[in-house]
Amino acid sequence: MIALGQQIENKFLTAVNKKSGNNILDCYQCGKCVSTCPVSSFMDFPPREIMQMIKLGLKDETYMANSMWFCLTCAACSGRCPREIDIPRVMESIRHLAIEENVNPDDPHVKNIRKFHEIFLDMVRRYGRNYELRMMAEFNIRTRNLFKDMHLAPKALLKGKIPIGHEKVKSAKAIQRMFKLAEKLENTK
Amino acid sequence: MARVGVFVCFCGANIADFVDVPAVVEEAKKIKEVKYAIDYKYMCSDPGQGMIRDAIVAHRLTSIVVAACSPRMHEKTFRKALSDAGMNPYLLEVANIREHSSWVHQKDKKAATEKSSDLIRMAVAKSIANEQLHEISVPVTKRALVIGGGIAGIQAALDIADARIPVVLVEKSPSIGGKMAQLDETFPTLDCSQCILTPKMVDVASHPYIELLPYSEVLELDGYVGNYKVKIKRKASYVNFDTCTGCGACWQKCPVKVPNEFNMGIDKRKAIYSPFPQAVPNKPVIDAEHCTMLLKGKCGICAKVCEKGSIDYAMQDEIIEREIGAVVVATGYDLWDPKPYEEYGVGRYKDIITSLEFERMVSASGPTGGVPLRPSDGKIPKSVVFIKCVGSRDEAKGIEYCSKICCMYTAKHAILLHHKVHDSHAYIFYMDIRAAGKGYEEFVKRAQVETGATYLRGRVSKIYQKGEKLMVRGEDAQIGQVVEVEADLVVLATAVYPYKDNPELARLLGISYDKYGFLSEAHPKLRPVETAKAGIFLAGCTQAPKDIPETVAQASATAAKVCGLFSGDTILKDPMISKVNTDYCSGCQNCVTVCPYQAIVTEEIPLGHGSKEIRTVAKINEGVCQGCGSCVAICRSMAIDLAGFTDMQIINEIVSI
Repeated sequence: MIALGQQIENKFLTAVNKKSGNNILDCYQCGKCVSTCPVSSFMDFPPREIMQMIKLGLKDETYMANSMWFCLTCAACSGRCPREIDIPRVMESIRHLAIEENVNPDDPHVKNIRKFHEIFLDMVRRYGRNYELRMMAEFNIRTRNLFKDMHLAPKALLKGKIPIGHEKVKSAKAIQRMFKLAEKLENTK
Repeated sequence: MARVGVFVCFCGANIADFVDVPAVVEEAKKIKEVKYAIDYKYMCSDPGQGMIRDAIVAHRLTSIVVAACSPRMHEKTFRKALSDAGMNPYLLEVANIREHSSWVHQKDKKAATEKSSDLIRMAVAKSIANEQLHEISVPVTKRALVIGGGIAGIQAALDIADARIPVVLVEKSPSIGGKMAQLDETFPTLDCSQCILTPKMVDVASHPYIELLPYSEVLELDGYVGNYKVKIKRKASYVNFDTCTGCGACWQKCPVKVPNEFNMGIDKRKAIYSPFPQAVPNKPVIDAEHCTMLLKGKCGICAKVCEKGSIDYAMQDEIIEREIGAVVVATGYDLWDPKPYEEYGVGRYKDIITSLEFERMVSASGPTGGVPLRPSDGKIPKSVVFIKCVGSRDEAKGIEYCSKICCMYTAKHAILLHHKVHDSHAYIFYMDIRAAGKGYEEFVKRAQVETGATYLRGRVSKIYQKGEKLMVRGEDAQIGQVVEVEADLVVLATAVYPYKDNPELARLLGISYDKYGFLSEAHPKLRPVETAKAGIFLAGCTQAPKDIPETVAQASATAAKVCGLFSGDTILKDPMISKVNTDYCSGCQNCVTVCPYQAIVTEEIPLGHGSKEIRTVAKINEGVCQGCGSCVAICRSMAIDLAGFTDMQIINEIVSI
């Protein structure tokens, strides 16, 4: 059972609104996002319920749900939302808030998803773009599952789905400087 | 020799899908008297009526049978088609093959077809005996009675009076204004209710064409459309309104305190009182049930302080009569008593109030000065739970209908709560949000987004006390979990219920009402302001729950109806009424007893031609008779016949099948 009414102020709602630049109160619970979302059936709570949970100020329940980690940010939901809420951005905002508060859901998949995000960002930082082959290798090493999806490799290579060469933008250094600047801004905030 | 024309309607698919219309036409052609028979997709349309007009002329028809929907629907339409072709309109017969055949026998086309043919055969037989009838012209008294002085009655009275038609406005309480006067602000614009209502109240009082009778009740209504006679009781107010200036000295000094009805009993008024400061007329009345002087003969303070000597303890109820031509009933509504909600602890917990109590509290002129306060300890509530559909849509509690206004006023209450108590929060338990109206959905959004009210979808299952707080438990169906809200105050949006005296009033007016006591309109779609009784109209919540704009619109509609009725010096009345054959009448007067309209009187006529001896016979008052036929059935000498439904016509119908 959920207890409400003890606190008049909904700090969680304010935090999500501020971080995401949206107003969650705009959501009128139509559920169009849920039926649009390709992965909503795998989530603990589909996007509509996450919205309601934020409205009720259920911070812990929201953080402990796998929903925001499963979100692909494909933006199909926000493209169809009648109240024009940027739902992927809301999901991203709660991911950030959860990381800031160091809360991890129990779902074992979430750990891998987080690693995937980290490696992806690392690739961009280093090479200015995603170096796919390296990313796959690092992901398999870090998740200790060396031969994951290996059986798909020959076919994918033959079809040219995996570039073999070293992928890098011309001025990777400039990208690295951008990252440093962003980090600096983030820290001074 | 009769020449009957038969016109069979498809009614789109309504009849044609379940009745073999061409076969019915062929069957009709076999009847000896039928000289012309045809079918058409929509007989009521202009081309359809044209077919009837043309056939009347071309085939020299002497009576017409239209086989279509119920005569209640289009009898008038087809009668007009006959008139247009120069034929007496009462030579029409309608065979109802829709409601009486196609709709009720949808599973058996063959039987429905046969029944349709039978119905047509009967109508043809009856029409052969139809006589030419002519509408009866009766004089009209151009004065209207409006019962109820809420916004509906006020609007109706003003609109009728502005057309220079005298109006008698009867209000049971000491002031007009009704429920709207009790409201703080109104959705969806948050207009101050008093500010938009009181100028209209003043207009009523000062209008040269309105006779305002406050503190009065309708006792009796006799007569018929255009010629009613009404008896009105003017309750003793014990104050001479002609000399009273409304100075207020009397109620300031009165020592007796009584719960104030206008403020839902939150504060007290005196035994001599004017319900609220903006009351119209702004004259006090003495509440005889509580006045010590009237009860025990001691006190008399008000008489002593009154400089004008307006207090009259000997005043009696007065019964006055008025002649009127039409009635607008606008008795409004009451809030349903939520006592059956034992699971909410209604009556046990002081901090559960109704929406109208909350409305009085947030009103700037209310008993708490515009701030909601907990009845238990007078503290300002921070966490407030609003529960919608309390009574409404709860069949277990005996109400099936939706009260229509609660969704909107609860959204308003959430906004007002936030205006009055900034650090408060509204939790709203709802089943659906019904916000159909101009600017309504936007208003609900304002409550949800700007005010940030938490909407929880579910009915509250129970309320219990925990310390000072009330714990309100319900499901939030949006996340499929039970929630429990810690509340300082709980506001119940109780159902709109008809005014308790409606059934009694309906009986004395001779109109019908539904199982709840809402007065019934003549047709839910096409005659929503008329009652089944000619000349009596309905405005506002007396008919069904309504908000203010809808009530005002309906009130203006009744005014248009009244003005239409009074547009000529006479009105035409259906000629299908009873006739007495005095040769047969034995003067038993059984018909006088059974007539529900008091339309039959007796007269004395010579016993024979030129005779000096007299005998008593029945006489029908043409203006009053509604053609119900009760007298025809009771008459043992078969002296009474009903025009349009004569014995001959009925026998013809029976013999034909």
